[in-house]
Amino acid sequence: MSIYDLIFYLFATLTIVSALMVVSSDNIVRSAFYLLATFFGVSGIYVLLGADFVAVTQIMVYIGGILILLLFGVMLTSNITNVEIKKGTAKILPAVIGIGILLGAVVSVMTRTKWKIHLTEIPQTTSFELGKLLITDYVLVFELLGILLLIALIGAASMARREQE
Amino acid sequence: MQNYLIEIFGSEIVAYILATVPVLAFIVLFVLFAVWLERKVSAHMQDRLGPMRVGWHGVLQTLADFLKLLQKEDIIATANDKALFNIAPYVVFVTTLATFTMLPFTSIFIGSNADVGIFFVLAFSGAVVAGILMAGWASNNKYSLYGSLRSAAQIVSYEIPTALVVLTMIMLYGTMSLGEITIAQTSHFWNWGIFGGPELGLAKILLVPFMFVAFIILFISTLAESNRTPFDLPESESELVAGFNTEYSGIKFSMFFLSEFANMFLIGSILVIFFFGGYNSPFGYLGNLLGIEWLIPIEQLLWFLGKGMFFVFVDMWLRWTLPRVRVDQLMTICWKYLIPYAFFNLLIVGLILLI
Amino acid sequence: MIKNYFKNTWEGLYTILIGMKITWKHLFVPSVTLQYPEERAKLPERARNRLFLNYNDCIGCMQCAAACPVNCIEIETVKGIPTDMPDPTSKGQKKALWVTKFDIDEGKCCFCQLCVAPCPTEAIYMTDIYEYSEFDRDNLVYNFASLTKEEVQQKQDNFDKFQAEKEAQKLEAAKAKAEADAKKAAEEKAKLEVKPSNDEKKED
Repeated sequence: MSIYDLIFYLFATLTIVSALMVVSSDNIVRSAFYLLATFFGVSGIYVLLGADFVAVTQIMVYIGGILILLLFGVMLTSNITNVEIKKGTAKILPAVIGIGILLGAVVSVMTRTKWKIHLTEIPQTTSFELGKLLITDYVLVFELLGILLLIALIGAASMARREQE
Repeated sequence: MQNYLIEIFGSEIVAYILATVPVLAFIVLFVLFAVWLERKVSAHMQDRLGPMRVGWHGVLQTLADFLKLLQKEDIIATANDKALFNIAPYVVFVTTLATFTMLPFTSIFIGSNADVGIFFVLAFSGAVVAGILMAGWASNNKYSLYGSLRSAAQIVSYEIPTALVVLTMIMLYGTMSLGEITIAQTSHFWNWGIFGGPELGLAKILLVPFMFVAFIILFISTLAESNRTPFDLPESESELVAGFNTEYSGIKFSMFFLSEFANMFLIGSILVIFFFGGYNSPFGYLGNLLGIEWLIPIEQLLWFLGKGMFFVFVDMWLRWTLPRVRVDQLMTICWKYLIPYAFFNLLIVGLILLI
Repeated sequence: MIKNYFKNTWEGLYTILIGMKITWKHLFVPSVTLQYPEERAKLPERARNRLFLNYNDCIGCMQCAAACPVNCIEIETVKGIPTDMPDPTSKGQKKALWVTKFDIDEGKCCFCQLCVAPCPTEAIYMTDIYEYSEFDRDNLVYNFASLTKEEVQQKQDNFDKFQAEKEAQKLEAAKAKAEADAKKAAEEKAKLEVKPSNDEKKED
């Protein structure tokens, strides 16, 4: 086991444990901060996969954007600490069946896929290739996403705007 | 530097860990110096003297203060969220330290010449917000919470003009790696970003005014991101005691302090890398003249630190010039002025580069 | 509208530069700070600070104590006797009193300088010493009288003795006077009466 394997398991454990804590924590704000660790662990795994741009985007968008938004939302609601969060199991049997099916599906996909064990060559810089692909092959998706985000932005602005009297 | 360390220790991980030690030492030394400088500059701008007792003109004053801080009781109030309260200062400091890995101090010492360079810096300076919110919330104190929310709102808002200007500069240099951006500005000072970048021609002349606009926008928005006066609403002593670090004492407080001053140097060095040639000397090197190879990196380091320190000084200068802005003014500056200017600047620079 | 926008931007930046120019100038303005223990502010000519008494010049007239609005001066005196008179003041004024106690409580003093004016010998005055803080309040009571306890006792005894002697002399004088008077009276009586009666009286 090389040191990179060790680092991978470190990040994987971080991700899984903190994800579990997000679900099981009593306190909403605590959950949100456990989410920070989850996102960070995922971005670490991206780094180990050689996807540096995606990893940094993960940090930028999820930690710098979504998590902050989430925290703002949580902190600005009243009675954060008094809220009773339901976290017990309501119905065990349907849950077990559902999770069993999901697990089966995931395991079967994992076993049937032909994994590339040997990477042909790790591209040193992913951002150049990514940029190129975004404006050539995936330009339509890219533009559509841009327009979608623009619409969301305008919608948010118009909703937040006070009616002029 | 890294290759040399890898050769010595035979392991990349050990080498990389060791490579962070000089950066960490640099941050601590820089903060010791910058705090003294801040106090001296502020004192002299107000016709006072500032610290004069410890060492020559009080140079060791910060060291004495730091030693005092280390001995202080680590106060944790009963109603604090203890785990988060204890982690928060380290989250803030580590994220700030992480951004330093991308800075090219000299041509041979750069933590990581990764291609994501500036993007990484932006991402991690955004991640600092999480630590700040953590500190504010875990303190269980109204002032701390207000301070941290203000800080978060401010950093998130001002990331947009910063990102737009950074995009402009990425377009100019064609890379996100800070090391390569610096290399692009080698040899003469008219190759610097503020003079329109390395390529000669008509575009270069046309670019100069827009580069200047970009520089002003980046300076203002990064100043706001580092929570310095006139954008120090998160810490506004007159209203919020000390913002998100009200409840902290001793070593944890000094962690916040370290990261604040480290951030000051970081924004200074980002400006230097983008617009003032990074570690490049404007006049050529003494080492080349004398034929001494090892002198060049030292000169580069001095140039880099000197330029960075100049912007730190300008921060301090502005601090004693301008009063604190109101929250609505803060948002007006960002959304109504900086973002439109940055956006049009981006468009125009893009058009000029296409010519 | 759009013109206003650019004007605002320009004015914002321009006024910041003006402000920066001012702070830059102030960076080189000599500091007003005094490095206190090494440097001291020059006191005005007639500054009022700690009181001082030139003990040798004090004639014990108590005018200062009377003038003091806060009663911070305490004086006790003993009259000198002709054989043991205090030396005259530096200006040659004669002293009639030994000043046995001259205490000024600087903690009480309100620096009004009212005690300085009435002094006939200019013995009490304000100095320029202003650093005399103490850890114990009692140390702020300054004893200016230079006589020792024994000396004071001696002066007191001297005076008492002198007084007693004087008293005795007076008494004697009175007695003598009385005797003389009596004699006189007797003589006059004798003149009026016959002589033998004089012998009778002596037997009495």
